[in-house]
Amino acid sequence: MTHLARFKLAAYARSHRLFQPVIALFAMLLIFYSTLVPPGKELSSYADSAGLLILVFAWAARGTLDTEPPTQRLISMTAAGRPGREIGAGLLAALTVNLGLAAIAVAMPLLHGFAATPAPGDLVRGIALHALGLSVGTALGALTSRPILGSPAAAMLALFGGYVAMLLVSLTPAGPFAVPIMPWMRAANAGALDASLPALAAAALFWSAAGITLYARLRRTRP
Amino acid sequence: MRLRAVSFRYSRRGPWILRDVDLILAPGSVVEVTGRNGAGKSTLLRLLAGIVPPSRGTVADRPSTVSYAPDVFPIDQPFTVTAYLTHMARVRGAAPGAAGELAARLGATHLLDQPLGDLSKGSAQKIGLIQALLTPPGLLILDEPFAGLDEQTRTTLPLIIDEIAAAGGTVVVSDHQNQLRDLPGADHWLVADGTVTPGAREASPRPAPSPGGTPRQAIIEVIVDADDADEVEQKLRADGYLTRRSS
Repeated sequence: MTHLARFKLAAYARSHRLFQPVIALFAMLLIFYSTLVPPGKELSSYADSAGLLILVFAWAARGTLDTEPPTQRLISMTAAGRPGREIGAGLLAALTVNLGLAAIAVAMPLLHGFAATPAPGDLVRGIALHALGLSVGTALGALTSRPILGSPAAAMLALFGGYVAMLLVSLTPAGPFAVPIMPWMRAANAGALDASLPALAAAALFWSAAGITLYARLRRTRP
Repeated sequence: MRLRAVSFRYSRRGPWILRDVDLILAPGSVVEVTGRNGAGKSTLLRLLAGIVPPSRGTVADRPSTVSYAPDVFPIDQPFTVTAYLTHMARVRGAAPGAAGELAARLGATHLLDQPLGDLSKGSAQKIGLIQALLTPPGLLILDEPFAGLDEQTRTTLPLIIDEIAAAGGTVVVSDHQNQLRDLPGADHWLVADGTVTPGAREASPRPAPSPGGTPRQAIIEVIVDADDADEVEQKLRADGYLTRRSS
């Protein structure tokens, strides 16, 4: 499966598709850190970054999964031994791309963006929030990829619409049980993230796992 | 390998492509699948390859190593032929040098440094075959493998199929052009009306000569790009038609 994931990553890296989320990432980071974040506000800034970059993570995941032509996916399924391995390799490649993007998002404000170096604890919390963001984004990107939604227009609408819907639902009282984007932003801003992080992480990872499971299930009849 | 009461449709409300298909594939067998366009040949091949699961029924005892060569190889990929085959060889766990040996055998050595996107249909078809043959397959699925191939490869491919069968592999070939009609021991399946009939073949599109009389003939003028003329003429001749060229 790792060899197939490397094949998919090589195809993605050689195609123009990588530039789209990378440009979007740097544009968003430029906006986030156009003015220096004052000391003590680093975690709040990381929480906003992790929540808003879900859109970029989803776009990158969709691009990675869509890089292979449909017929090549059929070849890859037999070459890998069974269809599940091709699906797993695609998700592994998408996660790898998003890990790279998340690493840039975490590291860039350390070089330029934060007025002071954050406390090690806040850095770890920021990394954890970006891990939640990339897992949610990867699931959303997978569910809007070509085997699931054949029309590019419908896929982009579902990707952006899905993200906005997640944001809106997370604003409601049911937010902590949905994908808790706004709750983790609020908790970080209020300095109360440590207490709520386990529950927020559980909800975010549950919905990510549900999205990935649905994607894998749908792919059984959509090779 | 055995298919029991296999039915397939692409969606819950979609039409059945195949219904209650029962088939047995013995190790070492070669099967030529024929049927008109849209009859369900490619769907049957994907079911056999394990790419899609049956909507109903079961597929049992599929060999562990399955290879699949599609009817149209996807050239829209950012690799040279060598880079692509190297990746596929790693995925399959193939021996180093396997791609080079197959390329030499199929007359594709000169293609190795070319980008996939620059390949003609026939050349791309060869790369599709090479990737499928990188490891000795327990089950080899070839979807219209002869389309666009040059004469040398058309001759070589049945020999390769024969070798795989002799080694105990099972080969299933969707062959609209009846290139395997003379392969000894090949079985034939006809896909039509949602069923698969072993031992049957698609009726020849050419009318049989009338007994004792001159065969009825018609002349069809086919206009093609000059670059494609050789390929089209080869296909027509392979199908047994008489061709005459004028520029």
